[in-house]
Amino acid sequence: MLRIGIPRGLLYYQYYPLWSTFFQEMGMEVVTSNPTSKAIMAAGSARMVAETCLPVKVYCGHVIELVGKCDYLFIPAIRSIQKNVYNCSKFLGLPDLIKAVVPKCPPIIDVDIDVSKGKVSLHPSSYEIGRWIKPRPKREKEAAKLAWESHLAYIKAMESEMVSPLEYLSGQKPSLASQGNEHFTVALIGHPYNIYDEFITHRIIHRLNTLGARVVLPEMAGRDLLAAGVVKVVGRPYWTYEDEIVGAGGHYLDADVDGVVAIVSFGCGPDSTMIDVVQRYARRPGARPLLTLTIDEHTGEAGMVTRLEAFLDMVARKARRRSA
Amino acid sequence: MRITIPHIGNMYIAFRSMFNGVGVEMVVPPPTSKKTLSLGVKYSPEFVCLPFKLTLGNFIEALDMGAEVLIQAGGPGLCRYGYYARDQEKILKDLGYSFEMVTTELFESKIVGVANLAKRLSNNAPFTRIASAMRFGMAKIAAMDDIERTVHQVRARELQKGTATRLYREAVQAIDDAQDGRTLKSVTKDYTGRLRAVPMNTEIEPLIVGIMGEFFIVLDPFSNMDVEIELGKLGVEVRRSAYVSHWLKFSLFLNAFGISEKDRIHQAAQPYLKRDVGGDGWESIGEPILHRGEYDGMVHLAPFTCMPEIIAQNIMPTIKDRLPVLTITCDEQMGRSGMLTRLEAFVDLLWKKRTSRQMERAPEGRVFSVGLK
Ligand code: SF4
Ligand code: SF4
Repeated sequence: MLRIGIPRGLLYYQYYPLWSTFFQEMGMEVVTSNPTSKAIMAAGSARMVAETCLPVKVYCGHVIELVGKCDYLFIPAIRSIQKNVYNCSKFLGLPDLIKAVVPKCPPIIDVDIDVSKGKVSLHPSSYEIGRWIKPRPKREKEAAKLAWESHLAYIKAMESEMVSPLEYLSGQKPSLASQGNEHFTVALIGHPYNIYDEFITHRIIHRLNTLGARVVLPEMAGRDLLAAGVVKVVGRPYWTYEDEIVGAGGHYLDADVDGVVAIVSFGCGPDSTMIDVVQRYARRPGARPLLTLTIDEHTGEAGMVTRLEAFLDMVARKARRRSA
Repeated sequence: MRITIPHIGNMYIAFRSMFNGVGVEMVVPPPTSKKTLSLGVKYSPEFVCLPFKLTLGNFIEALDMGAEVLIQAGGPGLCRYGYYARDQEKILKDLGYSFEMVTTELFESKIVGVANLAKRLSNNAPFTRIASAMRFGMAKIAAMDDIERTVHQVRARELQKGTATRLYREAVQAIDDAQDGRTLKSVTKDYTGRLRAVPMNTEIEPLIVGIMGEFFIVLDPFSNMDVEIELGKLGVEVRRSAYVSHWLKFSLFLNAFGISEKDRIHQAAQPYLKRDVGGDGWESIGEPILHRGEYDGMVHLAPFTCMPEIIAQNIMPTIKDRLPVLTITCDEQMGRSGMLTRLEAFVDLLWKKRTSRQMERAPEGRVFSVGLK
């Protein structure tokens, strides 16, 4: 059986159900790397120039883990999934970047996904996988349909059942939906590959819970509200993943939450400007308090927890005052 | 309505000529300086790339001089350039300035968009007048680019170091001052002649080093710490593919001159990077491959945290058959002396390579002299 490797990094958190269903339905075995660890991060970092953003280094570490364990790697080059809204350069350069830096890299299936050009969409029916895998798989159409359904089910579970992506993907029991007796609510915003990578952000959702906060996530707001958040703060969307920071920021800073925690990565081009507009938005009177945490390879758990505690103290005080 | 644009090399000359030609006043920000940089750094997000900080500094200085309309790049794209205007507008408004921000998104409709802007700001100047003003602005840029090419050659060979740079500065001023096409032609001819007449060492065959990297940094001498002048002082002839006129022509009239060179660069990059990753990352992979055999080496200018150039830097070491490349990362912490040391070491290395290449080729018992150094 052909083995397809899907590294557990970057867009894994958005599209794993979609892609894994597709390949499984086509009769292939899907191999994933283990959750991020110190070794994975170090292996990735060692192969890239220092300035590279942490998420890409981590992704590279996951690919290294898959070397020798799969026949193909699935690394699409995603330029746009919406008209005239583009991805960060690195998503587009990813297949070539990985091929260059990972020794003994398995062949990469680098389908081009560029909705702006009108040709190929996120829907797997358009991947033309047969170009890579011969003899041409027969069930492509059917597999694509099932894959798309599982993608929609994933989105729906996050939107209406308060399941966190992490729980969904790892098959854990949903916990966020049943939170209830906490006194205040915190929205956690950022790219999924940061907030749901339990290693690089030190299990932040769990932390917030143990510190007494109910947590809500960008996916739970639903795409319409996130899009409205972007429009409110900057107007027409510019980057594909602007929703996760600007959209979620715009939405939650005005929503019924007690505070917002934003995660951005050091050296991330888009984040550097997106978080700036969010911070400016948060300075408007009446906006919810905002804490920005910038993470890199050296972000220690202790330092992060201290900052979270101080912020939550403040949020809790405000929440008490509001309810009093 | 007084209009301004941030500095990218000498681009302001074209815009000033164009806007003045239709009766719109343009505020030219003071030349980018340490002060511009520190203003930009103070009010910019910490980790944003250098061009953002410098152009924000230019805007602050221009607003203080009374600018009311700011032009900035915009429109969909892969890197941050198109996002600048959104964030800078907010930063400047938060600082209490009032102005209108116009983005080059209107360049999407190419020349028509710019003409419409000129029409609006000039209270309806006739299109014929706008067209001739634009043509004149472009002619100035083309003239400056031509002079620059000559300067690159003279700098490497002049006996009295600094002569070409001085003449170049005078020429830019004269071109900026030129009021009509005739004057422009005659000053261009005059300065080209004077440059060619500079006493030069004709014996040497200087090293040839290409300059590539992020467009803004490549064209902005402040950001690149005058890398071209410094290389010239070391007796190196500089070549580069990016000129302001290419950019303007590319943005204003699609498929104009300069595109075929780009195509060749992209083709060379193909085996290592298949796609345009925004900014100039693709070119930074292609140029050291394409110019093999033609240049001795390349200097690669990359702003700190620049996404396209990071991709290029990661891929570059794996390219087998390419020119030696020296990458210089540009940010507000850069120091001139550090850069000079690295340039000198690089130039030494290139001389060694050239010598050993010539020795290899030389018939037995004969050693070629390599001039200078
Ligand atoms: S968006 Fe930021 S973190 Fe993500 S790949 Fe691009 S630079 Fe890296
Ligand atoms: S190309 Fe690089 S330096 Fe230029 S705007 Fe884009 S990210 Fe910034």
